Amino acid sequence: MAILETKSLSKSFGALTAVKDVSLSIAAGSLHSIIGPNGAGKTTLFNLLTGTFAPTSGKIFFDQKEITGTPANRVAHLGLARSFQRTNVFPAFSLFDNVWVAAFATGRSWNGLLYRKVDAYPQAAERARAALADVGLDKKSHQLAREISHGEQRQLELAIALAAAPRVLLLDEPAAGLSPEETRNMVSLVRTLKGRYTIVLIEHKIDIIMSVSDRISVMHFGSLIAEGSPEEIQRNADVRRAYLGGIAA
Amino acid sequence: MKKETLILLASIIVLPFVVRPAIATEIWIFAVFGLGLNLLLGYTGLLSFGQSTFFGSAAYVAGWLLKNYGINVFFALGIGVGVGALSALVVGYLCVQRSGLYFIMLTFALNQLFYFIAYQWTTVTGGEDGMPGIPRPEFLGIDFTNPMTYYVFVSILFLLALWLMKRIVESPLGRILQAIRENEVRAEAVGYHAPRFKLLAFVIGGAFSGLAGVLYAMLFGIVPLESISFVFSGNVVFATLIGGSGSLYGPIIGSFVFIWLSESMSVFWARWPLLLGVAFVIVVLFFRGGVVEAWTRLGQKFGQWRSSKQRA
Repeated sequence: MAILETKSLSKSFGALTAVKDVSLSIAAGSLHSIIGPNGAGKTTLFNLLTGTFAPTSGKIFFDQKEITGTPANRVAHLGLARSFQRTNVFPAFSLFDNVWVAAFATGRSWNGLLYRKVDAYPQAAERARAALADVGLDKKSHQLAREISHGEQRQLELAIALAAAPRVLLLDEPAAGLSPEETRNMVSLVRTLKGRYTIVLIEHKIDIIMSVSDRISVMHFGSLIAEGSPEEIQRNADVRRAYLGGIAA
Repeated sequence: MKKETLILLASIIVLPFVVRPAIATEIWIFAVFGLGLNLLLGYTGLLSFGQSTFFGSAAYVAGWLLKNYGINVFFALGIGVGVGALSALVVGYLCVQRSGLYFIMLTFALNQLFYFIAYQWTTVTGGEDGMPGIPRPEFLGIDFTNPMTYYVFVSILFLLALWLMKRIVESPLGRILQAIRENEVRAEAVGYHAPRFKLLAFVIGGAFSGLAGVLYAMLFGIVPLESISFVFSGNVVFATLIGGSGSLYGPIIGSFVFIWLSESMSVFWARWPLLLGVAFVIVVLFFRGGVVEAWTRLGQKFGQWRSSKQRA
């Protein structure tokens, strides 16, 4: 069953149509990848799904309910969490505080928001610890985010999304800027999350995608040009042309 | 008891014997004003150039009620806190719609608006002459007109305000405000509506400013027009930056330096703001964390020097 769906979703910035008539259906529990050359509109699609921008036309459904136009801060509470392509953390915070902020946001209660101590919320703390452990940063929880390596910041980026205890995880190029070895670690990390969450993954490194995805959608110039299993996508002539064309251009 | 608390209590006891009680009182009042600003400046990363809007509005309203209806001191303080919070709610609501330079200019422009209302509405505010004749009515046999009594009263309220602010910055709200300062986009993405939290910071800061405003009016027995002017807004930003906006205690130290300098130097040197300018340049160039940072760095240097001496 589809947990996240779009119907003819479009977004224009002036004369540029970044996302054009995209109808997508993400099955609950699956890992669905969205690939395409740079500038294909993948990140814009994520921004539409998470409410960063409102679409120009079309509709978005989450769990059968329409959420079109819901602002980003409310989308998070629905159970839709995202990571960012460019590392987007709280630099002066410790790693623990980075994930705690996300865990508290979607926590069960904000009672005592103004006067209780931050450590008086065992549930949020527990969730924060679990999120750091999931990405393997639990040993560094007291370090500051600006002091860790780029690779670790990518892991932290993911941990912040996990700390919200989401139902759907939108990952925007989690392996961006990572070395081959770090990329392998990130891929295996994503693989461990598979099954626990519905995952939508943006990537433009095809080799990563093929090994982890259940289903793949291909975007090119804002439109969906193909969808299918990894094998089907590999055989698809349009996809090859889009990628080759992208490189040639 | 912690070291900070001890130093603070000692300063409160010693201060009125070192400087005139009125100046000592003003230092703690200005510190309360600074605490309110620093929730915005230091914790949320919002430079408000309009804090005197809340300070002055509270001083005028409570001052007027004290003068014409002889309300009791605590009621006046309550009114001040309420007016401070309410005016901050209105001003804040408009300002948080924008960010960066536009935000700063909005706080400044609205401050000017309030200033000119006070300037023009002479029948109530006295315009340029200010609103004189604010009493400190006796309450339950406590004679607030005695300078030392009033000093003790203000000191207790200051400690209460500090304790409250400490609770607030150590609460989830404090951490959320800092998260917004660090990265507003991510704070929104994890589920916080940033404008609403900024507004909350405004209202709390406004309540603190209002409390300070009423105490100030009762201290000098007058609400000067200056108390709602942009110069006053600038002063509290100045003082907080000199003290150190990165720390809870920064605005308190800043208030001490600012008021002490202005009251002691202005007597024999009319150009005393020069000193303030020099202090500000030093802070901006060398100690971005203000006196608090200078002090910790000095402490570290001293520690190094001592350990190297012991080795030798």
